[in-house]
Parts: sequence; C-alpha cells; structure tokens
Amino acid sequence: MINIRDKGAQIWEGWNRTTRSTFALIVIGIAALLPFAAGFPLTSFVNTPITSYQSILVYPVGMFILMGLGLNMIVGKSGLLDLGYVAFFAIGAYTMAILSTTTGLNTWEIMPIGILCAMFSGVLLGLPVLRLRGDYLAIVTLGFGEIVRIIALNLNITGGPNGITGIPNPPPIAGITFGIADHAHFFWIVLVLVLLTIWMVRRLTVRRPGRAWEAIRQDEDVAALMGVNLIVYKLWAFTIGAAVAGAAGVIFASKIMVIAPDMFTFNVSVLILACVVFGGLGNIWGVILGGAILAYLPERIRFISDARHLMFGLTLVVIINLRPDGILPRKKREKILEKKVDA
Amino acid sequence: MSEKVLELKNLTMKFGGVIALSNVDFHVSKGEICALIGPNGAGKTTVFNVVTGVYAATGGEILFNGTSLLGKKRHHVTKMGIARTFQNVRLFGEMTALENVLTASDVHKKSGLVGALFGSPRARHEESESRNRALELLEFMGIEHCSDRLGKNLPYGDQRRLEIARALGAEPQLLLLDEPAAGFNPAEKVALAETIRQIRDKGYTILLIEHDMSLIMDISDRVVVLDFGIKIADDLPKNVQKDSRVIEAYLGVPADAS
Repeated sequence: MINIRDKGAQIWEGWNRTTRSTFALIVIGIAALLPFAAGFPLTSFVNTPITSYQSILVYPVGMFILMGLGLNMIVGKSGLLDLGYVAFFAIGAYTMAILSTTTGLNTWEIMPIGILCAMFSGVLLGLPVLRLRGDYLAIVTLGFGEIVRIIALNLNITGGPNGITGIPNPPPIAGITFGIADHAHFFWIVLVLVLLTIWMVRRLTVRRPGRAWEAIRQDEDVAALMGVNLIVYKLWAFTIGAAVAGAAGVIFASKIMVIAPDMFTFNVSVLILACVVFGGLGNIWGVILGGAILAYLPERIRFISDARHLMFGLTLVVIINLRPDGILPRKKREKILEKKVDA
Repeated sequence: MSEKVLELKNLTMKFGGVIALSNVDFHVSKGEICALIGPNGAGKTTVFNVVTGVYAATGGEILFNGTSLLGKKRHHVTKMGIARTFQNVRLFGEMTALENVLTASDVHKKSGLVGALFGSPRARHEESESRNRALELLEFMGIEHCSDRLGKNLPYGDQRRLEIARALGAEPQLLLLDEPAAGFNPAEKVALAETIRQIRDKGYTILLIEHDMSLIMDISDRVVVLDFGIKIADDLPKNVQKDSRVIEAYLGVPADAS
C-alpha cells in the first residue's frame, strides 16, 4: 500500500519556504471557501438533505475539529486520558452567557476572559490528578465533566436546567456581520481559531515542550529522571487544551444564543475523543480529518433517520478495526543514514 | 582522594519488612570511576533509585556536593547534576535518537513554553546549541549515523550507547551507569571500557554497577561491594579481589568453615 503520509512529508520536505507558504495559503483559501461548496455543481454533493450544509460547517464540523485539536494536546501529545473535556467547553460557553447577559461586554471582549476561565479550570483539574495515571485519570476527569454540568444545572446564575437565553451574537468586524443565519461568517471565526491552534501546536511540538510531553507520554518515570518537570508540563497540557475548548465554548454560545446544561453531557466528551482516536491520536491532520468525517457523516445521512446512529457506530467499528491507530496515525518516520565507513 | 561528589551516610531503605539497604556508607570522589558490585539482590540498583529520588530513603543521608538529596524531586536531582542509565534499556522508543538526547539536555534550558511558542531569540539559540551538542554526543558514542532513527528501531548495543548519550545530554557531574555492558560481547565490552574512561577523562565522575569482573578490574579506581544491603568492602580493585568476605558473598562459605 502506498504510504500517503510519508509521500506527502517527502514532497513537503523537498519544498522551499516560498512554495510551502504558497501551498499553505492555497489550502487555507480552499478551507475558507468551504461554506460555498454546496453552490458549485462540481462540489454540490456535499449538500446535506434536511439540514443546512452551511450550519453544519460551523457546528458540529468546525467545533469538533477545533476541540479535537485541543483534546489532542492532552490525550494525543501528552498521553493524559481526559474523558471530561466537555467541562472546559461548558466553562467557556457559560462565561460568555453570563458575562454577556449581565454586563455589556461583547463576544470579542469576553473571548480572552472565557479562555482564561477555562485555563484556570484546567489548572484546578490538573493539580489534584497529577499523580494519577491511565484509567484512574480517566475516571477523575470523567467526574470533573459531570461535576461542571451538574453545577450548571443547580446554580441560579446559570439558569438551572433552563439555561441562559438571550446571549447576543458577536458585533460585526469590518462589515462582516454575525447574525443568526451568517453561518459562513461564523465558520471563518472557527477557521481562524483552528489555524491559531495548529500554529500553536506545531510551534510547541518541535521544541522543548513537545519533547517533554512526548517523553511523558512514552515513559513518565524515565521522563522525570531525565529532568522533565512532570507537574509543570502536565499542567500546561491541561491548560492549553482547556484554552482551546474555552474559545470554542465562547463562539458556540454566541452563535447558538441559548445554552443549557444538557448540551454539555458526557456524550460530547466521548464524541470529541472519538474524533481524535478515529483520525489519528497525536497527529494534527488525522484529528482534522477525523473531526470532519465524524461530524459531517451523521448529518449527511440524516435522511435515514434513526438508522444513522447505527451507520455511525458501524463506521467507527469498521475503521478502527481496519486502522487501529486511526486514519492518519502519528508520525513515525525515520531517516536512515548510511553508516560512515571510514578508517 | 579529594572532593566527595556523592556521599551516602548510613543510608537505609526498607520495603515493608524487607531491608534493601542497611546503613550503607560510602562516597564517590570527584573524577573517579567507582564500581558498585555485589550478587543479585544486593541492593545496587536500589542505591541508584534512592540517589535519583525514585524511592525516598527510610533513613540516613545522601549528600551531593554537600547538599542533601533527600526529598528532592526526580527532575530536580537531574538538574542538580546526576544522570543515570537503566538496567533494562528504557529509551523513548517513539523518538529519534537525537530527540532522546535533546529531551535530557532540555533540563538546563531557561526558555520554556512561551519562548517556544513565539520563537524567542533565547529559545532559538538554546535549541540550536543543544542540537549541536546532542549531535556531538551521538558522535562521541559512535552512533551519529542513527541520529534520525527511532529509539526502538536501533540495534540493542546502540540502544545502550544511546542511553549513555542521553544521560550525558543532561550535562551531569555524576553519571550513574546501571550495567552498561549487559549483553555485550567481549569486543564490545573492551570498546565500552575505553568509552567510559574517555567520559571520565572529560571530567565526569562515574558510579557504575556491573557484573563483568574483568571490566570492573580494568577500569574502576575503587570498588564498593554490597551484599544483602550491607557494604562488605570498599577498596582498590586488586584488594577487593582478595577480600575473603567478597569471595564468600559471591561463592559461599567453604563447607569446613561453617
């Protein structure tokens, strides 16, 4: 079988900086044009029956990719299994909802506050679970996800089970409006956040933090003995993952305008984790592909009504059996240099 | 000998009722190769684990350049200048050889996450500097041709050499080698002995666990012998060879003497 990943990486390495930037810009351009794909005869197959194609692009596709990338920082890069990722998303969304309805702040002003709140909750979750590994960590994070939802369900400030209504849409930027029907414009915001996340992950991965996370994932004890500060880097992994989900939550709340606790169930955590594992744990492109497929598929086959859940499950089972490491597995390339034969 | 780099004072380590180390007392002087030997289960690796902070000592004191190591976190001990290898090779298998060394050399870096994110001049400088140093170390260990290969795909001998390179990457003053020659053939052992001597000559102090007596007698300046967690000898290699307690520990007591 042709190894697309290696071939792609080979071609990429053969390019110089200009070619690379041009290619990246073209890809970004195509991604930005995605909302209009349903309009062209050639690509009209993407159009979904019943639901609006453009609204699917923002949520779930864009959101799942964004959160998949965030969760990938925690699960894929650092190997910390987090089953309560939805908590950070919920905290971002509730920060947006509460602040926008009680103060006059708009989405763009709340965004950094929402990210900070989510990051802070990442530290709160991270501190007590630093000593836990594997299954135990998974259980505690699962509990954290539920705790956040149940708190939202019971507090007055979060509106209890009714949630919070009347969350304003973001104010326009440079003439681009963000009304309830401006799906394409929201998609662009999500795209910008996705690009920022990719940039951040790539930057961190090739330098010291990436190596530290990789070492922690592979052998925590040896990592510590080789000088990796486990506490600092585990906390950073949680915090960065939380920041991404927090940003996603802010946008989500300001698009949907109404949020309620039952939007932030365990199901969401599992679905995002499924995107990451399905696409390829630890690989950015795999996560993007996984998120796109898993988010788009159920909407595309919505016309078969309840059977779509069965189809969705079947797809997961089949693909994971065929490709246990995900569609695009983690990079495992190596260059073998000829051994020098001298003297 | 002069300065004591590492000093163990009445070090005791108990696991429940099992006494792994009992009042062990010895030191490693600056610039020497000190060998730690003893029959299986004598507590040699336990010494390494207590020194590097894997286990908390039950009693006694460990001094590194006069500073106590008790209660120090593992990464902190590494940062202070002690790096080790493992009895069973424990590389980061999914990382390249170069990345393995870089991971350890990160311990002395000052730039952290923010520097990496925005590519600060200091982060770039440190990155390229440590990359050059890591390549030098790989070359020194004779595995520079493997720099871009994954740890798990290296031949066994190269994995052992890479472990030493990785430990050196942390720029330690004291290098702890846990059976570096295990599984080596005689020719490889000779080469390793030469490498260890070169490492010493570069100014590192070495504490070495080894079972191969010819290697020990060849390279070590001093030999400490443990048996059932008790130090039974601490002397020059040639004296240790003749020590009746050491021979007893390894070969047992003659029938007529008991």
